[in-house]
Amino acid sequence: MNCDAAASLIPLYGYGELAAEEEERLEQHLDECAGCAREVRRQRSLAAAFDERSLQVPAALLEDCRADLMAAVRRGEPRAGRPPRGSWARFWEAVSESLAGAGRVRQPVGAVALIAIGFFASRFAGVVPGGISALSVAPSDSVFSTVRSVEPDNTGRVRIAFDETRRRVLLGNLDDQAIQRLLLAATRNDNASVRVESVDVLKNHPASNEVRDALLNAVSHDPNAGVRLKAVEGLKSLAGDPDVRRTLAQALLNDDNAAVRTQVVDLLVSHRDDAVVGVLQGLMQREDNSNVRLKCERALKEMNASIGTF
Amino acid sequence: MAQEAAGTAAGARVSPQVDTLVREAQRGDQGAFEELVRTYDRSVLRLALNLLRSPEDARDVYQEAFLRVYRNLQTFRFDCSFQTWLYRIVTNICLDLLRKRKVRKEEPSVIETSEGPVDRMESFEEGSAHSDPERTLWNRQLQEKIERSLEELTPRERLVFELRHYQGLRLRNIGDILGTSEEAAKNCLFRATRKMRAELGDFV
Repeated sequence: MNCDAAASLIPLYGYGELAAEEEERLEQHLDECAGCAREVRRQRSLAAAFDERSLQVPAALLEDCRADLMAAVRRGEPRAGRPPRGSWARFWEAVSESLAGAGRVRQPVGAVALIAIGFFASRFAGVVPGGISALSVAPSDSVFSTVRSVEPDNTGRVRIAFDETRRRVLLGNLDDQAIQRLLLAATRNDNASVRVESVDVLKNHPASNEVRDALLNAVSHDPNAGVRLKAVEGLKSLAGDPDVRRTLAQALLNDDNAAVRTQVVDLLVSHRDDAVVGVLQGLMQREDNSNVRLKCERALKEMNASIGTF
Repeated sequence: MAQEAAGTAAGARVSPQVDTLVREAQRGDQGAFEELVRTYDRSVLRLALNLLRSPEDARDVYQEAFLRVYRNLQTFRFDCSFQTWLYRIVTNICLDLLRKRKVRKEEPSVIETSEGPVDRMESFEEGSAHSDPERTLWNRQLQEKIERSLEELTPRERLVFELRHYQGLRLRNIGDILGTSEEAAKNCLFRATRKMRAELGDFV
């Protein structure tokens, strides 16, 4: 082997990517050629210098990415394939079970909810092996299709991927588990009016932990003030619960809507505790809205507490 | 060399555990999908971060790649390892970014995360700080030179170098990922190292 041939192998030698025979021939040459052996050492130094610039993934960045992804998935990013299982399957099963029972007459207990829901019934993912196209669901008035991609191929055929959404109506009372699950899912719907209606129905029934958590989640995170107001209203009967109070106290300091803050003050002072005085005093330091300030001031006076902190 | 095997299945064509997760996820098991993501996502994010040198872009790549996986998992037919399939998606997105955008040279040194601001330079770099000022200066100059030499590479050369040097993937696997032969990947790596060697001649 001459030095030119060795030079073309040295970079791959460092990565262990030479065939055994090539490696053997190169090593023989390196044994005899000080210049090429020096070049190998330089390549190693270069590799070490490149190692220095390696970036590690910060845990916080990774966690943020995971949270973003799972939020997108849970928001219902369309997915290819068969009817969903897992948590989506439970959603599906809830619908199926309730539809099966929809024809039966049930004793009405509490409020009756009528919900129209849309879900991904199935998705046709393109050409099946063998080149035969088939639709799994015959189109009907209740099926809505959304074309996601169109790809012509070189044989003159076209591959279309689309989502199908089928609308169904489910009738049941609030004690029905399936109805509750759907309502809970609807509190995270993209459509604000669906969220308002769901929270409005759920707020009359905050007995379970799931409902309570959904209401707390809406208070803390829903971007729509109407939904947050409904959720705060729904927490009235739970105003003594420490978790609820903690969330309300945070909402009081963070919510940008004055109507929500006003309602939260009402709710917090309806169950007095020592912590609420501090929260209200804290609010007085930063509150710009005169109505909220007035309400806060009154509440503090009623509790014989000073308006400011000293 | 700074190599990080992507998950436990680096280069492996068959990994029963991963295959099981894929099949469960294909059947709609959300938990299996999440586990699948967690098996590979650190490597994916690290690849994007090192390649694009921008946490924001890396975050976009992560999101786009795994959403594509989620949407298209049904089309995965086990013709290759899941890791190869995933990396095809990731590298396509990265290549598009490298080609379409001129990667910003001046990145903000502080990025916002849910745990507050994180200083990119302090928290990301593996290398420890040198106390010797002369050595620090020399290192800084070398690192600048290295960055410039990487910018001279074509997006494909850049990607092959990244996958081989930092991700530790074999050239055969890289060829599979990029839809080319092992030989082509080898040539690409050779061109990349030759260019960088020429650029950094005085420093090493």
